[in-house]
Amino acid sequence: MEENIIEMRHITKVFPGLVANDDVTIQLRRGEIHALLGENGAGKSTLMNVLFGLYTPEKGEIRKNGKTVVIKDPNDATALGIGMVHQHFQLVHNFTVLQNIILGAETVKGGFLQLAQARKKVADLSEKYGLKVNLDALIDDITVGMQQRVEILKMLYRDNEVLIFDEPTAMLTPQEINELMQIMKDLVAEGKSILFISHKLNEIMAVADRCTVLRKGKCIGTVNTAETTKEELSEMMVGRKVEFVVAKEDANPTDTVLEIKDLSVAGRRSTKKSVHDVSFKVHKGEIVCIAGIDGNGQSELVYALTGIMPAESGEIIFKDRDITKETIRNRNLDGIAHIPEDRHEYGLVLDYTLAENLVLKKYFMKDFQNRGFIDFPAVRKYADRLIEKYDIRSSQGALSVARSMSGGNQQKAIVAREIDYDPDLLIAVQPTRGMDVGAIEYIHRQIVKERDEGKAILLISLELDEVMNLSDRILVMFEGGIVGELDPKQTTVQELGLYMSGAKRNDMREAE
Amino acid sequence: MKKSSFRNNPALVGLLASFTAIFLGLVFGFFMLGIFNPSFAGAGIVKILTKGLSSKEKFAKVLYQAAPLMMTGLSVGFAMKTGLFNIGGSGQYLIGTFCALLFGVVLKLPWYVCLLAAMLGGAFWGIFPGLFKALFNVNEVITAIMFNWIGLFLVNLAFSNTPTVLANYYGASVADRTANIEAANPSAVIPKLGMDKLFNSSYMNISFFVAMLVAATIYIIIDKTVFGYELKACGFNQKASIYAGINAKRNVVISMMIAGALAGLGGGIYYLCGTAQYTIEKVLPAMGFNGIPVALLANSNPIGIIFSALFISYIQVGGEALQPEYAKEIVDIIIACIIYLSALSVLMKGLITGLLREKGGNQKEVIEEAPLEETK
Amino acid sequence: MIILADILGSTILFGVPLLLVALGGMFAERSGIINLALEGIMITGALFGCLFLRNANLVGWGEVHPQLAMLVAILLAGFVGALFSILLSIAAINLKANQTISGTALNQFAPAFAVVFSWAIQGRGQTTINIPSWIRITTANFGFAPSANPGFWETFIFKSFYLTTPVALILFIASYVILYKTRLGLRLRACGEHPQAAASVGVNVYKMRYIGTTISGFLGGIGGLAFTIAAGSSFQSTVAGYGFLALAVMIFGNWKPVSIFFAANFFAFFKVISSYSSNIPFLPKFENIKSSSYIYQCIPYVVTMLVLIFTSKRSQAPLAEGQPYDKGQR
Repeated sequence: MEENIIEMRHITKVFPGLVANDDVTIQLRRGEIHALLGENGAGKSTLMNVLFGLYTPEKGEIRKNGKTVVIKDPNDATALGIGMVHQHFQLVHNFTVLQNIILGAETVKGGFLQLAQARKKVADLSEKYGLKVNLDALIDDITVGMQQRVEILKMLYRDNEVLIFDEPTAMLTPQEINELMQIMKDLVAEGKSILFISHKLNEIMAVADRCTVLRKGKCIGTVNTAETTKEELSEMMVGRKVEFVVAKEDANPTDTVLEIKDLSVAGRRSTKKSVHDVSFKVHKGEIVCIAGIDGNGQSELVYALTGIMPAESGEIIFKDRDITKETIRNRNLDGIAHIPEDRHEYGLVLDYTLAENLVLKKYFMKDFQNRGFIDFPAVRKYADRLIEKYDIRSSQGALSVARSMSGGNQQKAIVAREIDYDPDLLIAVQPTRGMDVGAIEYIHRQIVKERDEGKAILLISLELDEVMNLSDRILVMFEGGIVGELDPKQTTVQELGLYMSGAKRNDMREAE
Repeated sequence: MKKSSFRNNPALVGLLASFTAIFLGLVFGFFMLGIFNPSFAGAGIVKILTKGLSSKEKFAKVLYQAAPLMMTGLSVGFAMKTGLFNIGGSGQYLIGTFCALLFGVVLKLPWYVCLLAAMLGGAFWGIFPGLFKALFNVNEVITAIMFNWIGLFLVNLAFSNTPTVLANYYGASVADRTANIEAANPSAVIPKLGMDKLFNSSYMNISFFVAMLVAATIYIIIDKTVFGYELKACGFNQKASIYAGINAKRNVVISMMIAGALAGLGGGIYYLCGTAQYTIEKVLPAMGFNGIPVALLANSNPIGIIFSALFISYIQVGGEALQPEYAKEIVDIIIACIIYLSALSVLMKGLITGLLREKGGNQKEVIEEAPLEETK
Repeated sequence: MIILADILGSTILFGVPLLLVALGGMFAERSGIINLALEGIMITGALFGCLFLRNANLVGWGEVHPQLAMLVAILLAGFVGALFSILLSIAAINLKANQTISGTALNQFAPAFAVVFSWAIQGRGQTTINIPSWIRITTANFGFAPSANPGFWETFIFKSFYLTTPVALILFIASYVILYKTRLGLRLRACGEHPQAAASVGVNVYKMRYIGTTISGFLGGIGGLAFTIAAGSSFQSTVAGYGFLALAVMIFGNWKPVSIFFAANFFAFFKVISSYSSNIPFLPKFENIKSSSYIYQCIPYVVTMLVLIFTSKRSQAPLAEGQPYDKGQR
């Protein structure tokens, strides 16, 4: 029997203005866990989407068991026994678990759904692999962990033998990650082969047999994990030696800038509160980080602080003044800056030029207007200054349309705008999401610099490394409440994980 | 902006897309003429294309119809800049008409006061779609349509119950239309400044120039002011505008109010010319809907709307000359076709940009789009 | 009592087009396409349905087989509506055009085309298409003569009974079954909520959306014919905003067939009340107001707005409606 169950040879995939995969070759052996390592934008997901039939490559071929195959769409992939758990779960929110599992592979009689058979098959699989799910629950109502089990069951229901996991741990707690690792090992033991996309070195070292590294669309090499080190892998991934820790002095917190008392925020889709009875303080000269798994109320907390969503009850005291009912504009003017979690959704008006985006919170100030008319030369001058100071790159400088800029430079523009606002409090939500190591380092340095200048920083992050490296104090959020306050110097990632999953909590009021 | 990068000029690309839409629309119209009455098709398309310039009188008619069209077009275009689709032009136009005639015929006030009243009436009717959207999250398209019909019935009811506005009060035999305004209150007629003699047409007055002035004002508001900056931000990305501290809900209401005022002014301009009498009818005025193609053709650009209103008016004058060989609605088919093609603007602009790029051929694009994250 | 039977009978008569067209809107939106063109689709469907009936009458065949002719007219109206809706599908699905604007274009096109076409067919200046009276189902079809003094049930059923009513009932049940009990329905709904998820398990999103809008065109076309029959004895190139009312009915019905059924009849009831206002004893007559019927004509539209105020906040529109789906983007 052929040793390689899947072989992708010389794959090249080009997007307008970008070579996402450049002559990439990768071999998946039968019964192995093969990791695909690379930074954001290195082309890992593109390569897997090619294998899954979502993209058609310009060049190259795919072999299954040594035979060349053509995969035009996910149906072809499924027919070849290839399944994929996507980074963003591909589940229909108002369908039941069972409906989601069978979608696309329904058992029908004359077009009518035959649910009983499907139910039995899914129940059997769930038992066999220890993947506990409630078949009749709506996706809206189940946890992220269970949603991931639904995704895995989708692949097993289709009898897939090649399983692709695209960044499967991004939304999980350390404990859930361990569980997933065990499930992956069990799956391999049952004869499945796994491709595992990640940029987290610990996970790769823990679970993968071999690892292929991609950098800027090119294949750098394949190594056995048993014969390599984390440092070697990271150098392959980034192309140079990486410092894992941002150099920073100890914090020197002084006056209270922000105080939150018993803040609650209503839920967006359900009647359950998304934030309940949260209290904490942020002082000048410290970085307070809110850690937690995505969807535990962090976004809503920030929306309530910045005024995008109303608070249901409780108080927000900013510089000794109650701002709970203030408008967004007044909070901004008061000295709150906000790097939003989604730069396209909130951060930028993509159809405005870079200059117009840089004055998004200042256009009405007297520096930039003259009796109701925008003072365009002044806007331009201001923009040119920020562009130079923060090294924002684009094709036409201040006149570039924001949409045409790269993600990293879009983010830099937002960071420049918010920092130049000279705020007393900077709320930064996942400020480095989807950026590569160089840009991450840059933004981290800017945040530490702001702190050293005496600003109060509230950082919301899902990346445990970022939480551990950058913060002076960690607050952990779970199901809308703060379940613990930790000192990054005295805690471990494992302990943090226990708090994030709700397994452990300490009373905030005592800690204060 | 450098010459070599003119392919990036969205205004030029938009203009070319509009011309393509017009051209294809006319080709389709010719095709329709050929199907329905082949022997007149050639003469028909010539009539559509030339009638508007065939005489001074016809050209005066083009200008006369272009003025209210420009207003309804500006109404749609202005709302579009704020991300709203104002399909309620008909209702706003009707309320504007009612206010103008009430002030002119019944209260005997001069024309500029009547136009102001028309604007206020239209603005009032425009508030509703904005308010329903801001407060209750009701799609503005549905609200606007409902208020078109409510407006029609209310205006008919109001005219029927205001005997002093109707034609029979001034000696005419019919009661189903409003009075001849020249007879009722000459001061309410928009001045002609002698142009009626110059063009030998009673249709000719200063309304076209008034409309142009309004278009220029709207252009300045949208492109040069702080208020315009806010409105456009809301239109492009409402969430980002909220994030920036802009009161998006208030802007939605104000924007629809201004759009309504523009459409209402259109009604005032049309019925204060002294040549038209409002007839109590059960159908919505086409003028309100025809603002949509006017705005789309011009890509919602206020200056462009001056020209697209002229064009639509021009082919409508041509269309009237088609009868009796064809129904004049064949021009509406051409207009519908142009709207349809304008809806495909993404595709059209893409194609045109592609064509220009092949000619221009430079590699700047790659730098522009490829990730620039630096790893120093 | 007879007036009540009359009102209820008419409610069903006007409820039928609203039900059909709102179900049509539902299929399109459940697949992810906002079908604003329903008004135009109704007009095109009605145009061809009515033209067929007119011609069947002219050649004399229709009067001999009235219900067969009616059935053909219904199918023709549906077919033409479906065909017309493809113009929307091409723009909205393949070319990723703005769905509101392309829908508006079709709404502009249809009435103009109807005028031009009926002018061309019937001769210069004649744009009204008369509908033969034999299409009505009478007691004679059931083998008994009409009573001299019809009672409640006879008035309720036979005063205005057309083949469109039973056809609509069948289509309503079929809509429910298709949406909830079949593979097609499951896939269609997935495309309206999360097209990327559907595509990732091999569902052809374009195809599902085409099916959604085509069903909506079919139902919309039949709805147009049903409206024209309900509204009078002739077709005059308009459906008086019913396509948009139907969209409001669909929103009120929360994109669910059974709720839409009740919403449609609720609206129809108000419409009928407004046109029967002068015959209903307990309604105020506004005797010192001229043309007071305009007051009642406003009612369906005002009620629509009131209902939308109360339902829009908690409405659950399909998440992906109105968003073009692009295979390359994810």
